[in-house]
Formats: sequence, structure tokens, C-alpha cells
Amino acid sequence: MRVPSLLGVGFVWLYRLTFGALFPTTCKYHPSCSEYAVQAVRRHGLVRGSVLAGWRLLRCNPWSRGGFDPVR
Amino acid sequence: MMLFTIPIFSQLETVMKHVLLWFHTSLHLPWAWAIVGTTVVVRMLLVPLTIKQIHSMQSLQRHAPQMKEIQKKYKGDKQRQNEELMKFYRENQINPAASCLPMLLQLPVFIALYYTLKSFDQNFPQSKGQDLSWLHFIPDITVHTTAVWGGYVLLVVYVASQMASSYFMMTTADKMQRVLFMVMPLFFVFIIAHFPAGLVLYWVTTNLWTVGQGLITRRLVAKTPAPAPERRSSRTPPKPETAPAIQGDGAQPRQETATAQQPRQVRRKKKRTSRR
Repeated sequence: MRVPSLLGVGFVWLYRLTFGALFPTTCKYHPSCSEYAVQAVRRHGLVRGSVLAGWRLLRCNPWSRGGFDPVR
Repeated sequence: MMLFTIPIFSQLETVMKHVLLWFHTSLHLPWAWAIVGTTVVVRMLLVPLTIKQIHSMQSLQRHAPQMKEIQKKYKGDKQRQNEELMKFYRENQINPAASCLPMLLQLPVFIALYYTLKSFDQNFPQSKGQDLSWLHFIPDITVHTTAVWGGYVLLVVYVASQMASSYFMMTTADKMQRVLFMVMPLFFVFIIAHFPAGLVLYWVTTNLWTVGQGLITRRLVAKTPAPAPERRSSRTPPKPETAPAIQGDGAQPRQETATAQQPRQVRRKKKRTSRR
């Protein structure tokens, strides 16, 4: 993994340890949004991975159905 | 926290500054109540998202018996059980879990408030000498929560409200996860103790809102689905039993029009009340 990707993954972990833990919710998707973000950044790099993760977050709204949605 | 000192956060801080100032100057609210007001407005903006959540909870309860059946059927195979449940959700258009977006929308507010309170004197130079207390037991909302004795009370309220809100927010049936969510605030209280009291105030308010919302949701969920499908299901089985009895009265059951169904319902209702 390159440095920018590492930074991205680090950011997700920082989120997980702080706000993610403070506002506990269970994600309707599998893998969860934060796990999806980590996988996306690892596979596609920081820029594309972040866009993918952002798009997933937007999809994770009360109107969506949720379910199995892996990083492609 | 150094990571957060990027431009977008200072912009968020500016927005929060204006919002708090509006509450303070236009509505003449004390600074502490301006925070409470901001929290309430944020949560009110999220209400449409919550309503959707209530609807999905209602449909979840409506389909509870079928879901229990699926759980029973695949008791030994948890993977299969989850798959079948997911399939069932999809078929019946149920949203089983909470979604990340509404929770994440609160994040910018939280960060903005953190920074605004951190440099409160610079953000609001006019606040010098003004009342920064809340309900008399927090003398200053900008100081660390543990700096004053009232802060400890606030922390206790925080833990209680966080536990209560977790209780209502939880959609997972996993016992281990439920316990974990309930115990978490006890650990977080040590981190939160270093935050300004105003931020804890925000937290307590948002938690209490969640609890109130949860209570209303429960009432709605308990009320609405019950009359629609459950009564129908309890009405449908007696049909074959009562039908022959009514048949003796005349040709009524043979009429298949909607008008013929109405008196039937009335009769059954009467029977029900007489039974009770």
C-alpha cells in the first residue's frame, strides 16, 4: 500500500475509534461503510477509493435497501 | 486532532459561529441554550430520515412472525440464516438496520461545535462577562467538563442518556453487540471528560432527542401495525367457522360484492365485544 492509501486507511481507523464508537449504529450494508472504505482505498488508491467510499455513504440512507455490496 | 485543522473545518466553525450568534442575538437565548437550540434544529432537520426509519421498523414488526420462522428453520446455519433473512428483507422491502448517512450528517456539527467552543473567546469577543452558565450547575460551558463539580453531574447524565439512546437506536439482535453498545459510554466518559462542557451538553441534548424519538417510535410501531394485518389475520380464520352459521340466515354469504362484506364485519365485531 502506498503512503496516501495508508493515510486514508488511517483516517478510517481514526473515525472508527472516535465518532464511529461514540455514535454506535449498525450499517445496513455488508461490508459496513467503514470496512468498504478501507477495502476501496486499498484496492483503488486514495482518490478513487475515497470517491467510491463517498458514493457508498450516500447510498447508505434510509431509502436504500442495503444488503451485500462488496468493493468491485 | 491535528488532522482536523484543514480548511473545511474552519469553514464549519464559521457556520457554527453564525448559527450560535443568531440564536443568542435574535432569539435572546443564553449561550448554553443556543447550543441546545442548535442541536434541536439539527435533529429536526433529520426528522424526515427518522420517519423513514419508523416506517421500516413498522414493517419489520409486521413481518416478525415470518422472520422468526426463518430463524428457526436455519437455526444451526447462521450464514444461511443471514442470507435468507437478507433475501426476505429484499423481497418485502424492509430496511433492517440503521443507515450511516444520518449519523454522519451530525459529524460536521459536532466538529464545528468543538472548534467553536475551543476558541470561544476569540469567536465571540462580546461574550466576555456574559452568562455562560447552564441551569446553574455548569458555571461555564467553555471549560473542561471535569473542571467544575457540575460537570460530573453532566457526565453522569451523559452516560445515562447515551445508554438509553443506544438502547433505542440498536437494531442488532446480537446479544454480545447489544451489551457492548450499552457498556461503551462508561469507557468514553474518560475521553469526553476532556471536552468542553458545551459539547457534552450538545451530546446530552441529542441523546435525549433520540430517546424521545425512540419512545414515540415505539408507541407508533406498537399502535399502527396491530390493527391492520394482525386483526385481519385473526378475523380470517373464523371465516369458515362462522360462515355456515350465517348461511342459515339467508343468501348473504353468497353475495360476493363489497356491500355484502360490510355487514359481515359488523356482525363479527359485535360477536367480539360480546365475547369480551
